[in-house]
Amino acid sequence: MSKISRNRAGLSRRTLLAGAASVLASPMVISSARAQAKPVNVGVILPLSGANAQFGINSRNGIELVADEINAAGGIKALGGAKINLIVADATSTPTTAGTVAQRLITQNEVTAILGAFASSLTIAISEVTERRDIPLLTMSFADQITGRGFKNIFQVVAKASAIGKAQLDYSVALAQAAGSKIDKIAIMYEDTAYGTAQAGGLRAAAKAANIEIAMDDAYPLGITDTTPLINKLRASGAQAVFPVSYLNDSLLLIRTMRQQRITIPAIGGAAGYVIPDFEKGLGEFAENVLSIAPANYDLAPDLTERFRKRYGYFMVHEALEHAVALDVLVQAIEKVKSAKAEDVAAGLRGAKFTGGWTKAMTGGAVEFDSTGLNVLSVPVMVQWRNKELVTVWPKDVAKGSAVWKS
Amino acid sequence: MKRWIAIAAVIAVAAVLPLLLNPTGYWIRILTFTLLFAAMAQVWNIIGGLANQTSLGHAAFFGIGAYTSTILLLKFGLSPWIGMFAGGLLGGIAALIIAVPTMRLQGHYFALATLAFGEVMRVIANVWTPLTGGPGGLSVPFMPPSVAAYSFKQLLPHAYIALIALIVVTFIFEAIRRGAMGYRLRAIKENAAAAEVIGIDTTKVKLQTAVISGVLMAMLGTLYAQVAVFFDPDTVFSAASISIRVALIAILGGVGTAIGPILGALFIIPVEELMNDLFSASAAGLSQLIFGVILIAVILWRPRGFITVFDAMVARLSGRAGS
Repeated sequence: MSKISRNRAGLSRRTLLAGAASVLASPMVISSARAQAKPVNVGVILPLSGANAQFGINSRNGIELVADEINAAGGIKALGGAKINLIVADATSTPTTAGTVAQRLITQNEVTAILGAFASSLTIAISEVTERRDIPLLTMSFADQITGRGFKNIFQVVAKASAIGKAQLDYSVALAQAAGSKIDKIAIMYEDTAYGTAQAGGLRAAAKAANIEIAMDDAYPLGITDTTPLINKLRASGAQAVFPVSYLNDSLLLIRTMRQQRITIPAIGGAAGYVIPDFEKGLGEFAENVLSIAPANYDLAPDLTERFRKRYGYFMVHEALEHAVALDVLVQAIEKVKSAKAEDVAAGLRGAKFTGGWTKAMTGGAVEFDSTGLNVLSVPVMVQWRNKELVTVWPKDVAKGSAVWKS
Repeated sequence: MKRWIAIAAVIAVAAVLPLLLNPTGYWIRILTFTLLFAAMAQVWNIIGGLANQTSLGHAAFFGIGAYTSTILLLKFGLSPWIGMFAGGLLGGIAALIIAVPTMRLQGHYFALATLAFGEVMRVIANVWTPLTGGPGGLSVPFMPPSVAAYSFKQLLPHAYIALIALIVVTFIFEAIRRGAMGYRLRAIKENAAAAEVIGIDTTKVKLQTAVISGVLMAMLGTLYAQVAVFFDPDTVFSAASISIRVALIAILGGVGTAIGPILGALFIIPVEELMNDLFSASAAGLSQLIFGVILIAVILWRPRGFITVFDAMVARLSGRAGS
């Protein structure tokens, strides 16, 4: 229940009016577009209400930016300048609802492809529908199951959770080494969601492989309200670095409690809640020098991502960036196959490599899908909070600054 | 006689309706879920309506059914048709285990105890990863279509299975209500002490209803798993979207009547979906707010449920036919 109530506060009279106005205006938008080439419908399913709403809104902003830019530049050339028509829908927090929404977009709106849905459980539910209907689904969710089921119509632009968890540990070891220290003992804390457990699994495996002792390995429920027992346990464990994996609210609580108790060991977050502006807004100076793994970061391609900051007033968070890449790749595939038919587009995406445009913002500088639909070129990056910005600090070849590591 | 003709006519209409919809489409999915939730609310109605015990933990049995059949399918390749009965058995056992200590509780206390039980099941499913897949959930594998394997490419067969399930549980509900058990339950509902005095074993009757309701709810869990294809602990053991929703459907429709849950589901599921369709692009979250306002308005308008509107219509129609 708390999940639903949390974001109600955000509903203002202005949103109501805007909502009503857009409902009224929508028939006009559709009829004016019909005059030119038939627009290409692209479904966008994201959690726009509930606990993950902020991530959903960030993602939508990234997609809208790219769609507007492409439309302003004359639409899809291979289809006679057809405009991209985004059909945005709320996935809520329930997988079954997300599946129903996907069914609706496929049947009612005849979408060419679907983008979404940030949270892995929602993406999995949508993929069960899109796979049966042969509609391509482009995603930046990264639970291992997404590309692990042998589906032919799923395309994931980032690395898998297990790979991200492994990088979270391996990069930290490398950073410690570069700073002249060594990690022997670590603590893992993760929320008991699909994302938290999958990434913690990757961390655990990497720690075992590197012969590092896991002094603490605790799952906690999403929406935890008191993290003091966890932090006490962390202090007693004698860990030299802590790896928390969580969405926003938990990440704020964990880091604040840690810093208030003067635990200064490096904290290496697991993306999600650790790499959005709200993290710094919520923690202030406590955010400084907190590290996090991220599937991508905006400072690797400022020429592209500054356009996002200019329009929305905050830096281009990774989910916005990856969703922008997903739409760019989709449009490139449509240009290539010269068709907006879902099966043609899926065939154009399968096993293909895409360069240029937004794909330059990804590590690897391009996007290439293997037979499972995974982008094999994507490598996670380590970022660090410095003066309200996220700076890429590892791997060395892409780093924009050197890490502050105090053990 | 006239009554049977009316029932047969309604079933005939319901049987034709799915054929009019796109068999792989959106509306058939909504119809399937509407029928399933109507069946679930009917099953809840056995204990919530006839025994007057407001359970807020029916998600526990529902989830047990969904998990049992899916785990048996994944680990042993067992057809969900068989898994459904295994789930029903486990659901019945779970209902018995929870009923023994809680049956003496009344009103709010009973509701709270059942609510906790649903939550306990969710936590178990979340942490027992080797068996349940943990928070990552379970996917029903994509198999070649076959009736024996309970696998279909289209949603049409699922809609019919849900319809049959609704008809079956509605007949079970009516049979209990009209039978000796229904009289005993009504006696207990009116005055438990007086019922004891006239020789009704109140504990036994309550346990029976709880177990019947638990078994059927678990079996419906299997049907849900086969339609939704993917579920996680938060989906099937959810207090808000399963336990409370089925109670709400039955209460809004008319608690303790066979038609109530059907009317409730026909209203709640499509309206909820329509709200999401209309508002989610422009102002997400607004749909839930408006949906809540509609629910409040309906309950203020018809505190005893849609059944009162339905009864009034039937009375007017038959009055006209009679004159």
